[in-house]
Amino acid sequence: MRKLVGLVFCAFGLFAAESNSVLIRNVTVHPVTGPVVENGSVLVVDGKIEEVGHRTSARAGVRVVDGKGMHLYPGMINAATNVGLAEIEAIRDSVDLDEIGEFNPQLRAEIAFNPSSEHIPVVRAAGITSVITLPSDGSRGGRSGTGSVITGQGALMHLDGWTWEEMAVRPMAVMEMLFPEIRAAGRNPFAAQAGAGARTFQEEERQYHAELSHISDFLEDVRRYKKAKDAKGPGFERDLKLEAMLGVIDGTQPLFVRAERERMIKDAIAFSDKEKVKIIIADPREMGAMGPELKKRDIPVVLGKVLALPEHEDDPYDEPYTLPAEFYKAGVKFCFGTFDVEFARNVPFEAAQAAAFGLPKEEALKAVTINSAEIFGVGSQIGSIDKGKTADLILTDGDPLEARTNIKGMFIAGKEVSLESRHTREYEKWLKRP
Amino acid sequence: MALRYSLEIDFRRWLSNCFVNWFALAGHCRKKIFRSCDRYVSRLKSLIWTTGLLAGLALRAEVPSAIAIKDAHIVTVSGEDLPKATVLLRGGLIEDVGAQLTIPADAWVIDGAGLTVYPGFVNGLSNWGLPVAPVAARGTAATATTEPRVHGPEDRPQNYSYERAADSVTPADTKLEAARAAGFTSSATFLDRGIFRGLGAFIDLAGEKGREMIVAEPIGQEISVTRGAGFGRGFPSALMGYLSYVRQMFLDLNQYQEAKALYAANPVGLHRPEYDHTLEGLEESPRLLLPAVESQQIERMLVFAPELKKPFALYGLHEAFKDIDLLKQANVPLLVSLKWPEKPRDADPTDVPSYRELELRAQAPSVPGLLAKAGVKFAFYSDGVDSAADLKKALKKALDSGLTRADAIRALTLTPAEMYGVADRTGSIAKGKIANLVVMKGEAFDDKTTVEYVFVDGMQFKPSKESQQAAPGAGRRPSLDIAEEEIDGDRL
Amino acid sequence: MRKILLLLAAVCSLNAQTFLIRNATILTVTKGTIENGSVLVENGKIAAVGKNISAPTGAPVVDGTGQFLMPGIIDCHSHTAIEGGVNEGSVSDSSMVNIKDVLNPTDINIYRALAGGLTVSNVLHGSANAIGGQTIVVKLRWGKNAQQMIFEGAKPGIKFALGENPKRQGYPPQGFGLTGPTLERRYPGTRMGVEDVIRESFNEAKIYQAQWEEYRTKTARGEKVIAPRKDLRLEPLVEVLNGQRYVHAHCYRADEILMLLRVADDMGFKIRTLQHVLEGYKVAKEIAAHGAGASTFSDWWSYKIEAYDATPYNAALMTKKGVLVSLNSDSDELQRHLNLEAAKVMRYGGLSQDEALAMVTINPAKQLGIDNSVGSIEVGKSADLVLFDQHPLSGYSKPLKVWIDGNQYFDRAKDLEARADFAKKKKVLLDKEATPARGPRGGAATEGPSQ
Repeated sequence: MRKLVGLVFCAFGLFAAESNSVLIRNVTVHPVTGPVVENGSVLVVDGKIEEVGHRTSARAGVRVVDGKGMHLYPGMINAATNVGLAEIEAIRDSVDLDEIGEFNPQLRAEIAFNPSSEHIPVVRAAGITSVITLPSDGSRGGRSGTGSVITGQGALMHLDGWTWEEMAVRPMAVMEMLFPEIRAAGRNPFAAQAGAGARTFQEEERQYHAELSHISDFLEDVRRYKKAKDAKGPGFERDLKLEAMLGVIDGTQPLFVRAERERMIKDAIAFSDKEKVKIIIADPREMGAMGPELKKRDIPVVLGKVLALPEHEDDPYDEPYTLPAEFYKAGVKFCFGTFDVEFARNVPFEAAQAAAFGLPKEEALKAVTINSAEIFGVGSQIGSIDKGKTADLILTDGDPLEARTNIKGMFIAGKEVSLESRHTREYEKWLKRP
Repeated sequence: MALRYSLEIDFRRWLSNCFVNWFALAGHCRKKIFRSCDRYVSRLKSLIWTTGLLAGLALRAEVPSAIAIKDAHIVTVSGEDLPKATVLLRGGLIEDVGAQLTIPADAWVIDGAGLTVYPGFVNGLSNWGLPVAPVAARGTAATATTEPRVHGPEDRPQNYSYERAADSVTPADTKLEAARAAGFTSSATFLDRGIFRGLGAFIDLAGEKGREMIVAEPIGQEISVTRGAGFGRGFPSALMGYLSYVRQMFLDLNQYQEAKALYAANPVGLHRPEYDHTLEGLEESPRLLLPAVESQQIERMLVFAPELKKPFALYGLHEAFKDIDLLKQANVPLLVSLKWPEKPRDADPTDVPSYRELELRAQAPSVPGLLAKAGVKFAFYSDGVDSAADLKKALKKALDSGLTRADAIRALTLTPAEMYGVADRTGSIAKGKIANLVVMKGEAFDDKTTVEYVFVDGMQFKPSKESQQAAPGAGRRPSLDIAEEEIDGDRL
Repeated sequence: MRKILLLLAAVCSLNAQTFLIRNATILTVTKGTIENGSVLVENGKIAAVGKNISAPTGAPVVDGTGQFLMPGIIDCHSHTAIEGGVNEGSVSDSSMVNIKDVLNPTDINIYRALAGGLTVSNVLHGSANAIGGQTIVVKLRWGKNAQQMIFEGAKPGIKFALGENPKRQGYPPQGFGLTGPTLERRYPGTRMGVEDVIRESFNEAKIYQAQWEEYRTKTARGEKVIAPRKDLRLEPLVEVLNGQRYVHAHCYRADEILMLLRVADDMGFKIRTLQHVLEGYKVAKEIAAHGAGASTFSDWWSYKIEAYDATPYNAALMTKKGVLVSLNSDSDELQRHLNLEAAKVMRYGGLSQDEALAMVTINPAKQLGIDNSVGSIEVGKSADLVLFDQHPLSGYSKPLKVWIDGNQYFDRAKDLEARADFAKKKKVLLDKEATPARGPRGGAATEGPSQ
């Protein structure tokens, strides 16, 4: 009998190691949505945050982790990456971005997300528990050479799981769109060499407007499709592309619109007004006069790299550094993304520099946690340490936006996750070389 | 030297007139031959003589060369400014100039009232007088595959240092008409391909044959360091490559000269120096012309050029308003480009240019005035501005930005002549100098001023209104549409 | 902007070489941290460091209360301020070209770097060839001309490159992705060929050196001989052999790093620094034994296959194995915040604060042989200093003031102040251009910026 009980307890113990229930105690809890809790604890049950308080012990079967006076933060979110879709940028075969074609709404990033990508543990080690992964790198035909406009759907992925299916926190979270741009003549130094005559501004502008109306036409096609589908008309045939756009036109799926310049933001807003679609402005490099317009319509923004160079010679040297604060002052909701793979782990540091140049510290933290979650429609699930939310947590010995801080532990959906990666393994291995 | 009618007059019509006259005369002779033998014999003689001349000299009218431009405002440049004086031309030279000249009886007199006479303008650096090279010869991407990759300076890439502009000068160059219409009579002409562009020639802008146009040569070696070949096409591809190539060439020249001298003194036991025509070309160059447009380029060239151990001049100089003191100290000949930087016609309105760019556009035309005020000598060059109207406009811009008319004239005449070592024979209105003059109705560069006559080596030209107002590329067929655009004001 | 900034620089630098920075946290890097400390600068040099230093009469005092002073940041790998192309990539050995010839002191990125605390840059040729061009160390004396930017007394260098970049032109034409006529391939196309290029060039250099030796001997004897041709390509290689020129070698993989060290050993010269050296951690022992410094990225990786084994622990690991390590930027952007990069070695490898700061100050100074005058806050050194509003290793910090040789080249407050004035001046120029006398369409200017 005792043996049986022992076996049962052992089984429990094994189960506990894999389990997604845990009590993390003796930590300073930073919920983000509320005040800091000193000497606090967080109880996680079945992957969800059950309680934030001062509990010191848990019931049997729940593992206890002693935080040793460290800090507990929500796992951070990188709101724009290509993680999982690209391994080595210079090797085309390892990159799955920018499919051929002008309108590809039916493509979904999550299904090509490689759970074995080395980037996943690397990014995770920096305290990031989720990323938005997008089907394009924004280079506008740099790879496929075509004028891609709607490149596919981006997804919010946990950085832990056996399959992409398990890792998808919110599949099909957004529909990515590369807003047309006017390429000023002379900006592309290789155009002349490639033999293309420099196009005049008039030509570029005409092309730009033609592209915009082409997009409107496409949306009209979608509406007609919807009407025919709803009416179950005779001869109705399912079209995967148009089908994929239905969420956009009924407002349940936002368009993730890459619009770098003020003119493009302005036109994207006008576009969303006209077409009655929800948009998120992605990677704007300037705000100009668009702040009030964005705020009025509650259009959120995903900011790209703060640590970037000013666009023009005469721009103030700190222009990209102060941009987040500008949006903040205009009352626009925003979060941070790095729009890449190699430096996706550095999104917390981008946020910190924004705080050096006018963005309140708390806002910087929000912009890599709760804001990202809310903008992508999972605000009730992740992004803060609140009861009922999924337990995406990080244990740190300081402010996770600081490079001097160490990330000591991580939980994704309540399960403790390794912070090892290729990088730590190589380090350990070569440290031992005699 | 026979006086020639302006090419602008219908040449064929003139020629046919000659023949008509000849036949008429011949016919007349036939009728009257029995009336007076003596008279007809002498007429016959002159007929034969004319025929002979026509046959021998092939289509040239021998008109006496003595001309007096009487009581005009004469800006001699090298001497005094003469408000009412006369200049005498004969045989292609200036016979005399002064206020109280006795006009020879055989001189054709041009009434100078209301006219201003200047020395003919000199283009400090151009390809005037050279035929336009066919596009294929310039080396396009299509030829890149057939050219072997260049391994370094030893392969002498893009090196035409030994080519002589003088060998290609032709009076048939279509740019000459517009040049004269702008008041230019001379040019420091250089071939324009490659890095080492060859030996230039100081030419007068008219002649029967190209070789008659040469006043002096070689006058210098033009060197260009702009990136032409592009990435992957071969050495040099970066600016530092160009500069190291130039530096290496002159080191090679130094060694070549030493080696030749040593070998000539005693060849026994020595390897002979290998003949290198690119180095021969450099050896012959009395001076170098080096590009420098932006401020840091000017500063760079003033540090780099002395290494080459040859006299040098700088060309470009649009940002020189930042370096006036430095240029004054450097005391080197300067060639200011007349192709003032302009706002691009087709700019994206939201693409605001940089302050530096704006400043350059605003202040480049002030460079000549600033140089003049600082006592720094400079000349102008066309830099691809080939139409008379554009040249005038460009010069006017410099005047509007602070250059005095007198300094502008100096920079267009005696200064470039001095730069190229021909000031003893041209570049001003002085006794014995070459008769290169421009005669304007009004003062130079004023809007209403027109060019009445241009004398090149004493040959008289009367530029048409069209050629003076024509836009670029309209040298042969001036179009009224373009003239209208001109009247409308700013084109840019 | 440049004009205003240049004026600012000129004004700032007038008679500004004697002053006191008072009551800041002094991060000397080599001699510990001094809380509430002061630094006295006299005639551009650090005259005193400590607590309770008083300023000479009349000397301006900079109040550093709550602020942090560190040595001017030094970047061992820069391509800023180069005009007309970073690479003479047409040939495999382009040692005849010299960055010194093409310095562009008007590059706005100089100012932007200053604003990030950078004071000294090792300006390098690119990595398109196995042996690249000659390199130079500069101080970011914004507003001065090119000659004045050169770091006096710093030994010149030459750039080598190993791995993927110098062999890329050796692939079949499609490798480049360029359309149009095929380009003739340039040797080498493999790492083996890269070694060959270096060995061949040095072999030639030795022959050249011998020829000149022979010539000198003969002429010393009074013989009349024709001098050998002075070859600008081989001259710098001879200087390398003579220890007069540093070698800075871009490299990634462990095998090529080892290869280069062995080539240098064979040829009888030393590699001064290995640049990027992302797999340096695997051969740290050999690097340390050779005596080469390593200048690496804080955390770049995976953008090409040779960077796939890169780890952010590289700097710490090499340091632990006895290599002198610095962090560099190789980027106009990254050079603006090398202090933030330095902080990463505290997380990735557990280095201390001073070890982290050393990565961008005294270490690169030693690598460049300029540590007798820069790289730390010590008496006698040049007053190359940066005043931060927070600890420089904090992600929340930013530079407020930057001095080089005691001249102030950056002041954030003044920069902010100058903006309105600058905008006005620019508007004047824009307006002048936007209003032609009579537009071709006869109306108001339809062109011209909307701002």
